[in-house]
Formats: sequence, structure tokens, C-alpha cells
Amino acid sequence: MATPPRSGVPLAWPEQPGDLPRQFTSRDSLERELKQLFPQAEGGLSPIEGGRRRAEELLTRIQPQRYGKGRNFLDGPVTRLSPYIRHGVLTLAEVRDAVFRRTRERQSSEKLINELGWRDYWQRLWRQLGDGIWHDQEALKTGHASNSYASDLPDDIATGSTGLACMDGFIAELHSSGWLHNHARMWLASYLVHWRRLRWQVGARWFLQHLLDGDPASNNLSWQWVASSFSHKPYIFNRSNLERYSGGRFCSACCLRDRGCPFEASYEDLDSRLFQR
Amino acid sequence: MKHPILWIHGEALGPSNPALVAYPGRPAVFVFDTALLEGATPAQSLSLKRIGFLYECLLELPVTLRRGDVAEQVLAFAGAHGADGIVTSAATDPRFKAICRQLEPHLPLQVLEPEPFVVLEPEPNLGRFSRYWRQAERAVWAQWATAPGPR
Ligand SMILES: Cc1cc2nc3c(=O)[nH]c(=O)nc-3n(C[C@H](O)[C@H](O)[C@H](O)COP(=O)(O)OP(=O)(O)OC[C@H]3O[C@@H](n4cnc5c(N)ncnc54)[C@H](O)[C@@H]3O)c2cc1C
Repeated sequence: MATPPRSGVPLAWPEQPGDLPRQFTSRDSLERELKQLFPQAEGGLSPIEGGRRRAEELLTRIQPQRYGKGRNFLDGPVTRLSPYIRHGVLTLAEVRDAVFRRTRERQSSEKLINELGWRDYWQRLWRQLGDGIWHDQEALKTGHASNSYASDLPDDIATGSTGLACMDGFIAELHSSGWLHNHARMWLASYLVHWRRLRWQVGARWFLQHLLDGDPASNNLSWQWVASSFSHKPYIFNRSNLERYSGGRFCSACCLRDRGCPFEASYEDLDSRLFQR
Repeated sequence: MKHPILWIHGEALGPSNPALVAYPGRPAVFVFDTALLEGATPAQSLSLKRIGFLYECLLELPVTLRRGDVAEQVLAFAGAHGADGIVTSAATDPRFKAICRQLEPHLPLQVLEPEPFVVLEPEPNLGRFSRYWRQAERAVWAQWATAPGPR
């Protein structure tokens, strides 16, 4: 199906040789031209469209009252505003005010405001730490030496063919859309760092390549939180947690549904299996 | 500055960009930073999805698009428009400061602050989120108390 033309807003000054194009007959032609202009960039466009118009549409749909209870579910009422916030299409202050406009009693909007606070917090830390966000903030609490973690992204992860329906599903979504639900990011990061014993920086770099909201501060410091170099203990999950918050959609279709799931265990068992303490 | 150009960067691709607000109609430029796209920084080269997302955001703004070394391109754009200065908005990425240092010897540079999420005095302790939030939550919600709208 043909998509409508993509025209840049008109400029009040003349074009110069070397200016990049601002008129395209369709989204497909935008994609084709970008592939030529940026030949080193992998893949195609995301189904998620950039721009203020789309951001404002999403902003009219936020549900602060349902957010607190539902945000951990993959199909829960999260805003999907992160790519627009990351690139300042909307400022955090504008989102804050939109939440305020929908708030009659403070308590029901507290969780969403708190999550906006996480972004502000990571940005403040970035200003303080600079490129230090690429280094461990503290020693790992896993009992493993940092040099025992691998430095290359394994092929089955790069291609989304681990055989685990959940992880392969998240990887496919990361690659095709460039957006993942927070819980999926946590599970995928935890799997890479703790089950596959990969350096968190390897995963962080890979995420930044693909995430439309890819932000070195939010991303790297969240990876450090999962890894335990910026938290009191490593973050892990088990099958019943993933199955619950994903509505069972991955497990029911997984080859390892009946045996061999590496996440099927109690937290105590996983803790002693994965860590040396 | 009477006739500056505006330098728009990837942390402020919306109409509330304070440079666009302060100088409406002035020539503005965004530069796709080739070094960044190709992975010269600790981050890896960017996928086409990310570039496409930025591009679509930029098409909705009055801004010329260029590609190459950011400081070089911004200065060339300023030259082409006979500008007497450069106006931009503050950014968190440390690359921003490095680029500002390259621009400053050539033209006056004005860096405008976007509206903050919350203003905190004294500077909060960032050791853990909970510390920061104890101070910030009160200040954010104090703004709700004064915000217009239904209650
Ligand atoms: C391993 C890992 C990597 C991450 N990488 C990034 C990243 O590169 N960029 C990024 O913006 N977020 C990142 N996050 C945080 C979070 O996952 C996303 O911000 C969120 O999922 C975006 O979806 P949403 O807009 O629907 O969020 P909502 O839940 O609707 O929240 C609203 C807004 O609040 C902010 N926010 C919410 N949660 C967080 C959080 N934990 N940290 C920082 N900001 C938050 C975002 O700007 C978000 O758009 C990462 C989390 C993990 C666990």
C-alpha cells in the first residue's frame, strides 16, 4: 500500500548544494533515499513514526490512573513516549504538565510522575559522570570477576535464534521496531548478563544501536542496575514472573515449554545457580 | 546578536526548543554527525530505524539538514547566511560541550536552557534514585498545585 507524501515544512531561506532532501513522495521513498544517504546503517524504517504530530497523538492517550497498576504488563497502559522524550520532540516538562492536566487527586498520578523522574535522574547523573557511564559504578555483586564476562555478542543473540520464544520475540521486536517494553528490556538484559555471562557494555551498545529512545544515560545505567554495578543485588526473574506479565504469550508457543526452560526455577535456585556467593 | 543562525541538535527536536522559540524564522541547521552514525564513540553505529526516526522529526521543523562534521557544517551554514552568532539549546551529551568548544573561537555562541522538569536547590545527592526522589518529588508536585487545569 502506498503511503502519503512526506514533505518537510517549507524553509524561509534558499537551499544550498549539499543540503539533504526534505521532500519525499512516500515513506517508502524516504526509506530508499536514506539507505543511499547512510549506506553503513543497517535495516529499514521502524513502523514507529517520528515527529511532533505523532507525539501529540500519543500524549492525548496517556492514562495516569491506570498506569500504576498496569505498567508492568507487556500489554499494559504505558505511554510509548520514550523516543519522543529522548529526542526532545516533547520535553519532560510538557509531559509532566499533560499528566497534571489529567490529575484530580495526586495519588493516582504519582507513579507516572515518578517514572518521568527516573529520566531526569539519569540525565543528571550523566552530566555528573560524563563518559564514566560506560564504566562500572561499583563492584559487581554476583561473585564473578568482571573479566569472566564475555566481550562479544553471541551470534544466536545477534540473530534472535536462541530457541527461547520469549528472548527471540524481544530481539525481533528490538530489531524491527526499536522499542521494547521496560519489562522486556529488563528480562533481555538479565538473560544476557546473568545467564549468558556477557559484559553489560556489550548489551548496552547493542541496545543503543537499535532503540529509537536509545539514550546512553538511561540505557547504560539501567544495564548497570541489572548487572549490579549500580544496585545492591543483580536483577533476575523466573518463568512464572515472565509468564504472568507477558500473559503467557511466549511460553505457550515455546519449544522448551515442557522441559529445559532455563528460567523455570525458584529465585533461591536461580540465585545459587547463577551467582557465586 | 541581530541575525544569528540556530543550531538544532538531537536532544531538542520539538517546537519548544528554546532557540526556535527565541528566534522564530531564523535559518536553522541540523547536522547528521557522521562520526556518531558510524560508531566512533563508545556506542555502535546507528541503525537506519534511528536515523529515519530523527529524519521524520526533523521534517516537521523549519530546519536545513546536513551531514558531516558538526562544527564544520554549522560554521559553514553560519557563513552562508552572514550570521553574527549561533544560538542553540543546552544538551546533556558530553559531545555537545566538545562541539561548543569548536564553535566558540569563530562566532559568539548562545546556549538557551529548555524548560526543566524540576528545579532543585541545593543540588540533589545522586547516590541512589530514592535520595534524589525524596527531594524532587516534593518540588515536582508543588508545580501541580499551581498548574492550571481541572482539579
Ligand atoms: C536495560 C534497559 C535499557 C533501557 N534503555 C533506555 C533508553 O535507552 N532510553 C530510555 O528512554 N529508556 C530506557 N530504559 C528505561 C525504560 O525501559 C523506557 O524508558 C520505557 O520502557 C519507555 O517506554 P514508555 O515511553 O512507554 O515508558 P512509560 O512507562 O510510559 O514512562 C514514561 C516516560 O518516563 C521515562 N521513563 C520511564 N521509565 C524509565 C526508566 N526506568 N528509566 C528512564 N526513564 C524512564 C521515559 O522517558 C518514558 O517515556 C531502559 C531500561 C532498561 C531496563
